[in-house]
Amino acid sequence: MKINDVVCPFCGCLCDDLEITVEHNRIVAVDNGCTLANAKFMSKEQLASPIRRTGEGWENISYDEAIQYTVDMLLDADRPLLYGWSGTHGEAQCIGVHVSELVGGIIDSTTSVCHGPSILAIQEVGHPGCTLGRVKNRADVVIYWGCNPLEAHPRHMSRYTTYADGYFLQNAFRERKVIVVDVRETETARVADEFIRIKEGGDYAVLSALRAIVRGKGDVVPESVAGVSRSQLERIVTLCKDAKFGAIFFGLGLTMTRGKYKNVRNAIELVDELSRHTKFTITPMRGHWNVYGSNEVFTWMTGYPYAIDFCRGIAFYNPGETSAIDLLARKECDACLIIGSDPGAHFPRGCVEHLAEIPTVVIDPVPTMTTALADVQIPVAVSGIDADGTAYRMDGVPIRVRKVIEPTLPNDREVLKSIHAKMKEAKGQ
Amino acid sequence: MKFILNTGRTVTQGRHVEHKYHQGYFEETSSCFIHPLDLMDLDLEDGEHVEVVSEWGSVVLRAVSCEDLRKGMIFVPLGPFANHIIPPRTHSTGMPDFKNITVELARTERERLTQWELMEKIGGKRYENQ
Repeated sequence: MKINDVVCPFCGCLCDDLEITVEHNRIVAVDNGCTLANAKFMSKEQLASPIRRTGEGWENISYDEAIQYTVDMLLDADRPLLYGWSGTHGEAQCIGVHVSELVGGIIDSTTSVCHGPSILAIQEVGHPGCTLGRVKNRADVVIYWGCNPLEAHPRHMSRYTTYADGYFLQNAFRERKVIVVDVRETETARVADEFIRIKEGGDYAVLSALRAIVRGKGDVVPESVAGVSRSQLERIVTLCKDAKFGAIFFGLGLTMTRGKYKNVRNAIELVDELSRHTKFTITPMRGHWNVYGSNEVFTWMTGYPYAIDFCRGIAFYNPGETSAIDLLARKECDACLIIGSDPGAHFPRGCVEHLAEIPTVVIDPVPTMTTALADVQIPVAVSGIDADGTAYRMDGVPIRVRKVIEPTLPNDREVLKSIHAKMKEAKGQ
Repeated sequence: MKFILNTGRTVTQGRHVEHKYHQGYFEETSSCFIHPLDLMDLDLEDGEHVEVVSEWGSVVLRAVSCEDLRKGMIFVPLGPFANHIIPPRTHSTGMPDFKNITVELARTERERLTQWELMEKIGGKRYENQ
């Protein structure tokens, strides 16, 4: 059986044109997907039952035991952290917020180690964004800054920019100019019309120089800025000012280097300057397929997009203090529930060490690096494969991810619902 | 020799996100991409092992020649190996410095640890009931 228009639950592109072939409730072929989608849909690594760490190794346990362990762990903790959420659907994220509030814990998503700084910048100066559809149909200049879509979002260029047809462009491939700004000459840089290679940590200076040139103050810009010649910067500004519609996409090259949210703020302010001459927009290249959803759900439930602390009985937000990395580095939390992410692989060792010391439960379909640090892992159905739910694309468009095979395991929201119900019961609510 | 370390995604790392105990994940995330001229300066051949030392610790990686990089910069795909030496400091932003970190590199004869051995070194327990 072939299923059309399937949504891919891998990266923030949420490509919705996959064709999945299913035989005997197993996926046997994936068409239209990138290599990342193929690997995810064809994965057969799911754990069959919950596991618990013993002195010697691991033992299988029942769902009831695993859920009871999680309930007891969260109720016994003074400062529990509930982290992850980007690899699950919005309905599960909602229950996650309720659970966090009930235990007075901290809820944080992978945002804090990807585009958290972008959100801090947006809170300072706003977000002149647009949908990917507008970019596809209108943009004649596209800038990729500090990101490498060919490796991290492999179909971004073919669906929305370089190789995509545009309704308002006669010959999109020829008319659209693509500019890549990076410290490495990546595959993406090699297919660009213009590649700006900047020295590590030079983003802020280059953005400031571009803003000065757009403002007509190019004479204050030195001959070379962070390894980029003034003549190249002037050429870029001319290209941007002549554009009918320009779109900047930026990645972790801006958020993870020195300056962090100030780099992003400068990029947004460049868009502001350019929009005095033509139409320009800016969009973060969100990584996890539903990391944007975690920000949406947390915001409409608590008022804040990530790193929310309920210990005062109300929602409190202060990234740098209430964010997962800082809590773990300070060894402040005393229990951790992890869902839809793998901090064992993606957090600095100084944080991961603390995870190994405290009671930790992982809700994830497959064994990950965090499995090694956990006491219990609860396998679940994979959202977008054998569970449905709502996700938000990188441009903020909500898309329903579908179920293409019948599940053999409960999904995230079912497991979290059981945890929440048992906790309420224990608290006499 | 001093280098600037950047970490980031690669398509091979992404393909193994759900297969982290596979050899392919180990090979990719324990790779250290270096400019060929820097390899010569370090007296290293492509595929030999290099010790990368930051203020936070050290890790043994496999050197891979890569001309995408500027001389003086190395790239390690994100994963447990890179994170073994990334400081957990966020400058009050919530985000650690995953990029643009100063490290020292030296040739080594030591073997790489596996991803599970790295986890066990900090108190974890590998899951092997595959």
